[in-house]
Amino acid sequence: MRRSYLGEFEEVVLLTVAVLGTGAYGVAITDELDRQTGRAVSISAVHAALHRLEEKGMLKSHLGEATAERGGRRKRLFSVTILGSRTLHDIRAVRDQLWDSISPQGLPAVSL
Amino acid sequence: MDSKKPPRWADKLLQFVCAPELFEESQGDLYERFLRNATLFGIPYARRQFVRDVLGFVRHRPGRKAAVVVKNTINHHPSASLFQPAMIRNYFKTAWRNLLKNRFYSLINMTGLTVGLAVGMLILLWVQDELSFDRFHSKADQIYRLENRVGTGSSQQIWTTTVAPIAEMGKKELPEIKDAVRVTDGNLYALFKYKEKTFAEDHSAFVDPSLFTLFDFKLIKGNPAKPFPDDQSIVLTETTARRYFGTDEPIGKVITADGKTSFTVSGIIHDFPKNSSFKGDLFLPISLWFKTIYTNRKDGRNKDNDFHEFSYVTFLLLQPGVNTTALADKLRTIHLRNKPDDTDLTYLLQALPEMHLYRADGTDGGIESVRMFVIIALLILVIACINYVNLSTARSMLRSKEVSMRKIVGAAKGQLFMQFIVETALLFVLSAALAIGLMSLLMPVYNQISGKELVIDFSNYRLWLVIGVTIAGTLLASSIYPALLLSSFEPLKALKGKVSARLTDATFRKLLVITQFTFTVILISGTLIIGNQLEYIRSKELGYDKSHTFSFYMRDMNSHYEVAKAELLKQPGVTDVTRSSANIVSINQQTGSSDWDGKAVGETMMVRPMAIDKDFISFFKMKLPLGNNFTGSVADSSHFILNETAIKAARIKNPIGKRFKLWDQEGTIIGVVKDFHLASLKQKIEPAVFYYKPENESRIYVKTTGKEAAGAIAATERLWKQYNPDFPFNYTFLDQTFDDLYKTEQRTGTLFNVFATIAIVISCLGLFGLVAYTAQVRTREIGVRKVLGASVPGIIQLLARDFVKLVLIAIVLAVPVAWYAMDQWLQGFAYRITIHWWMFALAGLLALAIALLTVSFQSIKAALMNPVTSLRSE
Repeated sequence: MRRSYLGEFEEVVLLTVAVLGTGAYGVAITDELDRQTGRAVSISAVHAALHRLEEKGMLKSHLGEATAERGGRRKRLFSVTILGSRTLHDIRAVRDQLWDSISPQGLPAVSL
Repeated sequence: MDSKKPPRWADKLLQFVCAPELFEESQGDLYERFLRNATLFGIPYARRQFVRDVLGFVRHRPGRKAAVVVKNTINHHPSASLFQPAMIRNYFKTAWRNLLKNRFYSLINMTGLTVGLAVGMLILLWVQDELSFDRFHSKADQIYRLENRVGTGSSQQIWTTTVAPIAEMGKKELPEIKDAVRVTDGNLYALFKYKEKTFAEDHSAFVDPSLFTLFDFKLIKGNPAKPFPDDQSIVLTETTARRYFGTDEPIGKVITADGKTSFTVSGIIHDFPKNSSFKGDLFLPISLWFKTIYTNRKDGRNKDNDFHEFSYVTFLLLQPGVNTTALADKLRTIHLRNKPDDTDLTYLLQALPEMHLYRADGTDGGIESVRMFVIIALLILVIACINYVNLSTARSMLRSKEVSMRKIVGAAKGQLFMQFIVETALLFVLSAALAIGLMSLLMPVYNQISGKELVIDFSNYRLWLVIGVTIAGTLLASSIYPALLLSSFEPLKALKGKVSARLTDATFRKLLVITQFTFTVILISGTLIIGNQLEYIRSKELGYDKSHTFSFYMRDMNSHYEVAKAELLKQPGVTDVTRSSANIVSINQQTGSSDWDGKAVGETMMVRPMAIDKDFISFFKMKLPLGNNFTGSVADSSHFILNETAIKAARIKNPIGKRFKLWDQEGTIIGVVKDFHLASLKQKIEPAVFYYKPENESRIYVKTTGKEAAGAIAATERLWKQYNPDFPFNYTFLDQTFDDLYKTEQRTGTLFNVFATIAIVISCLGLFGLVAYTAQVRTREIGVRKVLGASVPGIIQLLARDFVKLVLIAIVLAVPVAWYAMDQWLQGFAYRITIHWWMFALAGLLALAIALLTVSFQSIKAALMNPVTSLRSE
């Protein structure tokens, strides 16, 4: 099995797809990213990330319905694959493990 | 409505950069976003944002790897684009290194390309200039020249001048004709004087004032509404005005013509463009001409009813889309209504832009040369391209390892393709720069042989058009195949030394060499045949003796002819003197006004009439097979001598003593002169009539001994000054006048020679490179053969045999093409050589010899090489 590697942006996009559930497509993902993270990203960047993730096998997609506001173009709806899900879980596990290993004085205090 | 949508161009761009299977969703997303932005922030913002988003896609190029290659969505790793700056730099770097590394081949390639491009562009510039004639008028496609077809049967003729009243009547009666202009170059005045300056003007004309509105010859000074305020007005070109007045204001100045009439300058026009068929220096109102010739006429003719005088060049400006044949018929009806006995006359219209390249009857004229030279230019360019293609594909074998290494290291096919295209382009750019330099160098020589005044004017977009099209065309033709071939190697096989089948089998290359040599053989045989025909014309028995004879128009000397003749005959070097009304080399006058017993009703025989002196026939050593010569008696004014063709055309049996009428002169035929060439050999000998009328014989011929010609001319000039003190002495030798008849043909011949030579040189250059390459590849083979006892001639044969075979095939292919093409060209001459097989044999032999010479140089070099050196090179 190859070790899969996710870039930070890819990871965020992958997570957003999971957040959106059944309604994850280009514009929705871009908007959600904007709302959740405050990052204004371009649609093309999101598209590029989505296709990369699909190639890596972490996303699967199908064409959805067409709406009038899209000028009759169908949207491509993405959903996370098992591989994607496992990768996300792996990353989270690694993070959690790292967090757990930090001693209380290991990080300077940050007032939130 | 449209502005509520995203910009269309951005939409198109998206489609272009996006892989097809991803296009729909991407576009949909962008549309959705556009709509939201439009409602939130307004349409201008939304449109801007849309463009920004699309540009984002350009950067990411979803689903696309390279400009040309579309891959499916699976299995693609983002790879370097073709056009990244680093790659482009690399393309140039490797290309440059490669050129330097193979200096010998780069040099051969560049020389061939430079010469080919320079010559090709020079020819195409000439062609462009020829095609541009008379097209600069804004109404060029609505202007037509009015012509007449006259005569019956074989003596049918086209006249490019017509009668005066038809223009006015046509304009009045036919709505199709918007305007008309008539031009006649009547010789009313010859000497024009302003203060101390006197000029003999040859290019003055009487014109309708519409000349300056119908054409684009606009007045730059003067009143455009009234170019000629009265009959004593004159319009000059800028240069002419400068000749008289220097930098002074010309308008209002008074010029005196022939010391009796004064003209006031009323307008100035620009000098005529070089590509104008219509030219002149001084323009006088045509009304003055009419007044002069029709005042006190006893026959009652005037400018509105004279349908006899066909001496007006007439241009008509028509409504757009007029049927010219129908219009010509209507004009004929008008003509016949006024002069019913002109039943053999029809009208024709020739479009202004066709005047230069087509004959008056619409058949091919100069356009033939244009076509011929376009073909030659293309041949030369093709030959130059073939050189490049051949050399680079042949040498690609040597580069197969480089290409394979690049592929293994990870170069995509597209990148390699680009690399080779850049290599070719670099070589082309260098060659093109050199070619433009060479063009400027050759221009003066070229102008001299082509008789043009072309200049390389870099601010002229037409020049860039020619240069651009030529270079782009040749580059395209010669870069794609080698680049495709080179980038298509299969790395593993190539590294193992097995090169793809397409390469080892050099059929394509052989085909190209055959093509090159086919062109070469065609050009060589063309040169031979044209040269032969021109030689034939020069040496053909003309039926009269024109050697060492000069001739001029006598002006006021004619009234003192007998005295002048006696004086001339006393001069050393002058052996004989005679006179006639026209120049024997080319009798231009022609008339259909003749009658004889046995003439059929409605028949016209066009004859060339010439008044001759009684010693004319002996002067030119012409033969009189029947009857007698003029004796100079009073009775001679009603005597005629016809040539054999005239007798035959008129079907007169036992002609001596028969009735003949020329114009209004009734008379009898007293002699028959043997046929002689009274015009260019392109035309058949036409009927001619000699008559006796000393006052018409104003052209004098002086025969010299040849050696003392210079003295004779000087003496004649002194005599000329006695009678014509104001006029310059202009004489021409008959040989010169005769040569002038064939100026275009001579020029074609010279140019053909030059171009053929260049084509041959370029072909040989390519062949030379190929042989050098073959010898290089086979160095070791030759070494081994020599060690085993092969002889030097044997090895030369080995190397040369293949190429000789190709040249032989080329000869076989070329002969029929050349035969057909040259036969077509010869059809333009009424008197021509027959094409013999030996001409082609000679051309073939020449081509073969040249090819052998080229091949043997390298072969001998390879064969003489010491096998020790060549075998040690591993």
